[in-house]
Amino acid sequence: MIVFGCSVALIEPWERWAGPGIMRALDDDSELLTLAAMDSISRSNNLLLDTVAGLDGLEALVLVHPHTEIADPQLCAKVRAALADPEVAVVGCIGSTGEPGLAWWEGDVTRGSVTLAYDDEGGGEIPAFGFASPSGPGPAHTVDGFLMVLSSWAARNIRFDERLTLGHGLDVDYCHQVRAAGRKVVTADFHVIEHRSLELIEDVELWGQAHIALARKWERGLPEPFATPAGGVGEIKARARRAEAEAECARTIAYFRRLGYDARVEALERQLAELTESPSWRLTEPLRRLNMWRRRRADRA
Amino acid sequence: MIAFGAAITKPEMYERAARRGIELAAEPGSEVISGPAAGTIFQSYNALLERAVQLRELEALVLVHQDTEIVDHDFCDRARAALSQSDVGLVGCVGAVGVRSIAWWEGSVSAASFVHRHEDHGGGELPAFSWSSDDAPPYARNGEVDTLDGFLLVLSPWVVRHIRFDESLGAFHGYDLDFCLQVRAAGRKVITAPFRAVHHHALTPFDDPEPWIRAHIAVAEKWDGRIARVGTSAGDWSERAYRAQAMRDVARLVDHGNVQLHEARVRRLEAAIAEARGSVSWRVTAPLRWGQRVVHARRAHPTDRSVVVQPPEVPKR
Repeated sequence: MIVFGCSVALIEPWERWAGPGIMRALDDDSELLTLAAMDSISRSNNLLLDTVAGLDGLEALVLVHPHTEIADPQLCAKVRAALADPEVAVVGCIGSTGEPGLAWWEGDVTRGSVTLAYDDEGGGEIPAFGFASPSGPGPAHTVDGFLMVLSSWAARNIRFDERLTLGHGLDVDYCHQVRAAGRKVVTADFHVIEHRSLELIEDVELWGQAHIALARKWERGLPEPFATPAGGVGEIKARARRAEAEAECARTIAYFRRLGYDARVEALERQLAELTESPSWRLTEPLRRLNMWRRRRADRA
Repeated sequence: MIAFGAAITKPEMYERAARRGIELAAEPGSEVISGPAAGTIFQSYNALLERAVQLRELEALVLVHQDTEIVDHDFCDRARAALSQSDVGLVGCVGAVGVRSIAWWEGSVSAASFVHRHEDHGGGELPAFSWSSDDAPPYARNGEVDTLDGFLLVLSPWVVRHIRFDESLGAFHGYDLDFCLQVRAAGRKVITAPFRAVHHHALTPFDDPEPWIRAHIAVAEKWDGRIARVGTSAGDWSERAYRAQAMRDVARLVDHGNVQLHEARVRRLEAAIAEARGSVSWRVTAPLRWGQRVVHARRAHPTDRSVVVQPPEVPKR
């Protein structure tokens, strides 16, 4: 039996995305478990895990974020295929190798058919994490928490760390725990739509603190290939110097890239204004209104 | 006598920007010692300093990037006024205080009387915040700073004689901060003055981040403990490492989000333009716009019959 679990904080995203997606993916042998979200994501997820852990015949728990829409009627079959390897404990739709920190997308990203649907700028859909140049699904060190499939072993043995209270990095931490316990994490070719803004971060300070908390927790004992020997002061100092330089470098690059995009947008806005403010455009305004009216009438008919 | 110098790697840019500005600013008798770059900017500028040392009655050496255009015809008077205090070693038009690294713009920028002119996406300008005192924000002021932007530097004769660019630091990045720190460590002041310049520069900070990162580290290592705050940050090394790694990843994440958002904006605008151009009303009025262009061309070049306005290419729907 595959159980789909969702902690619902707001009804609207559940009704628009997670709910319909799960309905699409359920097979005859599936169960749906929805619980009201509690104050922390870890605690909510752990309640889902505790609820399913004792179920007889549990094959997997699919943790679905309310903003995630499963668009894959074959999801259950794909879950079973991915979990056919008993070593696999976590399956995601997108993840990465090579980056143990909170910013897992800075590693080598592997992805199924995952798209990002957004409302910004009139709305649209783009490949998720396209900026990370993902390759096809495969082995991973961590997966995105928007959709996590946990094996029955994981559901019974690994819990989300409720000490990480800032809401970011719980997925990364869970994957580290699973891998530290000797199990595998993979991505599979699930077709999933993530509904969220194109802006990737809301609270910079909070995210930064969560980044530090996760790194601190795993500063010793990261699973391979990240395990690092205890560094001396010289090594830590070199790491700090390098990171400080990289941080200021990243800010500088981001600033200039934004300037470049602003210039590009302004050029297009000028072009559009030249078109729509031209005498010929204004002269033919009644024609366009007439056309719009005809189209609406035809649509109604 | 005030001398001017530039290290040239792109002669076309030098002609268009630096040379034009030098010609505007130079006085009769000014020496121009620009020449092809000789290796790194550190080496090139040191070569210019060695030439400047030989100049008789030198009042100041003005070092400009090849893409810097001075736009003050009374620049030399302003330079003399700025150097009138004997303890001033270095003058520029963009400077900051509270600087801790070669990313001096992360400090508190106190003066920036330059315009950043670019050719990206049809070209444009980013205005200076202290071009004129009327429009300047409350924190804009000329005076002593920690460092200057190296795109325009005015060196006192003392500095020309005694200070050299540190060629051990790399090829380009950080030369300006290090030079300012050397001048300050020698007891001279670094100040901004109301010079005005145009920096002709693309909207990119650098092509390859790695040399910039190496220079950042090298300058921090060199000056940590020698000049207050430079190369320092709060906390022990472990705390600094964790915090900086987080801030680095935050910056990258913000950047990724901005790119996604701007790409969506570009797609929306391009679609709107394509829709407008493909509309029936735009196509039927194409001859009208062509006629307008013909009239404008005839007015602009009344006697030149070679000016031809091509008839419109109308995109198909």
